[in-house]
Amino acid sequence: MISALKRIWLISIREWKRMVSRPLYIFCMVIAPIFCYIFFTTLMGEGLPNNMPVGVVDMDNTSTSRNIVHNLDAFQMTDIVAQYSNFDDARKAMQQGKIYAFYYIPRHTTEKALASRQPKVSFYTNNAFLIPGSLLWKEMRMMSELASGAVGRASLRAKGFTDKQAAAFLQPIVIDAHPLNNPWLNYSIYLSNTIIPGILMLLIFQMTIYSVGVEQKNNTVKKWFGYADNNIIIALTGKLLPQTFVFFMVTSLYDAYLYGFLHYPCNGGLFPMMLAALLLVVASQAFGLFLYGAIPSMRLAMSSASLWGVLSFSLSGFTFPCMAMHPALQGLAYLFPLRHYFLIYVNQALNGYPMIYAWKSYLMLLIFLALPFFIIKRLKMELMNYKYMP
Amino acid sequence: MELYDKIKDGISDIFYIWRKEMHMILHDEGAQLFIFFLCLIYPLLYSFIYNNEIVHEVPVVVVDDSNSSESRKFLRYLDASPDVNIVDYAPNMENAQETLRKQGAYGIVHIPRSFSKNIIKGIQAHISIYCDLSGLLYYKAIYGTCTDVSLKMNKEIKISRLGNTTNRQDEISTAPIEYSDIAIFNPQRGMASFLIPAILILIIQQSLLLCVGLLAGTSRENNQFKDLVPIHRKYRGTLRIVLGKSLAYISIYSLLVAYVLIITPKIFHLIQLASFGTLAAFILPYMLSCIFFAMTVSIFMRNRESCLLIVVFTSVPLLFISGISWPRSNEPTFWKILSYIFPSTFGINGFIRINSMGALLKDVEPEFRMLWIQTGVYFITTCLVYRYQILLSRRHVYNRLKEMKQKIKKEV
Repeated sequence: MISALKRIWLISIREWKRMVSRPLYIFCMVIAPIFCYIFFTTLMGEGLPNNMPVGVVDMDNTSTSRNIVHNLDAFQMTDIVAQYSNFDDARKAMQQGKIYAFYYIPRHTTEKALASRQPKVSFYTNNAFLIPGSLLWKEMRMMSELASGAVGRASLRAKGFTDKQAAAFLQPIVIDAHPLNNPWLNYSIYLSNTIIPGILMLLIFQMTIYSVGVEQKNNTVKKWFGYADNNIIIALTGKLLPQTFVFFMVTSLYDAYLYGFLHYPCNGGLFPMMLAALLLVVASQAFGLFLYGAIPSMRLAMSSASLWGVLSFSLSGFTFPCMAMHPALQGLAYLFPLRHYFLIYVNQALNGYPMIYAWKSYLMLLIFLALPFFIIKRLKMELMNYKYMP
Repeated sequence: MELYDKIKDGISDIFYIWRKEMHMILHDEGAQLFIFFLCLIYPLLYSFIYNNEIVHEVPVVVVDDSNSSESRKFLRYLDASPDVNIVDYAPNMENAQETLRKQGAYGIVHIPRSFSKNIIKGIQAHISIYCDLSGLLYYKAIYGTCTDVSLKMNKEIKISRLGNTTNRQDEISTAPIEYSDIAIFNPQRGMASFLIPAILILIIQQSLLLCVGLLAGTSRENNQFKDLVPIHRKYRGTLRIVLGKSLAYISIYSLLVAYVLIITPKIFHLIQLASFGTLAAFILPYMLSCIFFAMTVSIFMRNRESCLLIVVFTSVPLLFISGISWPRSNEPTFWKILSYIFPSTFGINGFIRINSMGALLKDVEPEFRMLWIQTGVYFITTCLVYRYQILLSRRHVYNRLKEMKQKIKKEV
């Protein structure tokens, strides 16, 4: 009689040998995740996009209007790459993808300003590309306020105001913004921290289903179950443990890379994040198994897993908040492990709150672990009795 | 006469392979899933998720230490705005932070004790806002609204101080230079209008990669020697196979593409500025380059399931590398070069400009040209890999024949 532990060990060894001998496993479990770590963090390595191309239509062409253009160019994110002679040319350039925004100063702007006839300048930001559009909008609006203020300041100075008094007169109320824990508004911090685990989760879903399904496909279920004395729990534990180990190593690597090497905010310490990563791995495995039990065709199960995995990027609510979605979708979001991981990340790593504030999310990830028990009997029957259907 | 026969033969073979491939696609449950579910349902799902476009009523908590008529006015304006909702008035910052920790709010607006006193004294008065950065849209809503409200109040304060006589005077002295901001091509600054067009284009490429990869994997699995190309009288020419198969994909995907790119945006009232002619002219090379790209890649698919594992996760990096989110002007050179491999890069950029920005074909010329170049390059690579596969399967059969001959010899 061999003990259960010994059996699990034997199956794990068997699974380990399969994993290291097949390029597909190595690709999906190690190479693809590491590629994504490097891809997202270097793509957005700048943090905030600096010097985005912007155009100017200066119909006025006086020292004042040129001054506005110069000042705008000096802003961090704006880079004036072209002057256009009229509105249509600028719009064309935008449609050709050469610029993300342009600033329009009509004829006689200076003249009207000096004569107190209130000229009107305008700026156009292309929000079909939302991020450059809204970042440039912010700078151009500030520039316009400053331009208006400069005229006001000149007349106040003439009346004998000091600069400080003039500033207080022109802008009685000032807003001081404090973006918490990511004061640079770094996009990589904002996105990579959730996209990377999301991709891992997707791959874990698929690998779990694939590695179980491939036994059925290759007619090796009998052999596999033979090691486990036909006990499905032992069989699955032995099979999935080596994967849990590898995936946990890979997630730890990303914790080390983001928080240790790139120094992204990890205000709650590394332990809560590693715990969250471990829970994400096992919750995703459990969810994968659940799908395979519920949908006994390997390919259908893998397709559903892909669907779920890809949807979780949207439904976790890290780009478009859940609160703005349809109420039905807000409820659905609970069924995505990534949603809970994202909430833990915000709570622990980004904001560094005590772990107790994130208990619900930890618990939800734990609940995913119970899912396979609902389908385990069915799964066993499927595996033992049915043949792979292409 | 010989040439004529050869061409005739070739064309009949092409149509034979086309029929075979159509049959395979339409009778394969997996392929149906990738084609119909992915192309028909996915666009609807995504549009449904993002259809609310923007975030309204972001919850904030207020700490009003000033408690003056000025501060209350500021808060009234703030609460009345569409994007911000004051959920609580906390007595101090500690309590407000606690609300933030419990995710009851995503921002704190703090008005200091000296606020109204400073306004009256003619010193700049400050209001601090603290935003949770779990979502940039929260920050955008809170910061944007507070700035708007402060500008509005500034104007009122200035007017009361100036003591002008006419309204026109008020207007001029508070804003010597007026400005207007125009969010062109996506006037509501919505999430769906910006993201969905890119997703729609990407779906076409990914669906083709999956479908063609799956069929290639199936052919290999059903083949005795695990080869992609069967030994068959009709399957002897490279060009015939490539043209026959691609014709099958074209006939199925032309309809799907029309549905994905024209009907879905209509259902969800997304921006559609494209004229049919421009769109069709642009999408043709996109579809062709995707098909040949998928056919080239498909030779790496050893079995039915591997395409799922390899293709699905790339969707997210591909979306980012196209420059829809992080601007293309700021992409590191290395990734920019890598992005030239994928039809989706040019497809997304061109489609957004045509569909959302009303560009004409000549405005997207660089993308249009790149797609044709890709079509050409991937057509050649497809022919090359298929040529190689034909030779490979011939060699396998030949070897097997030799083996059998030797066996027979031995037995004799």
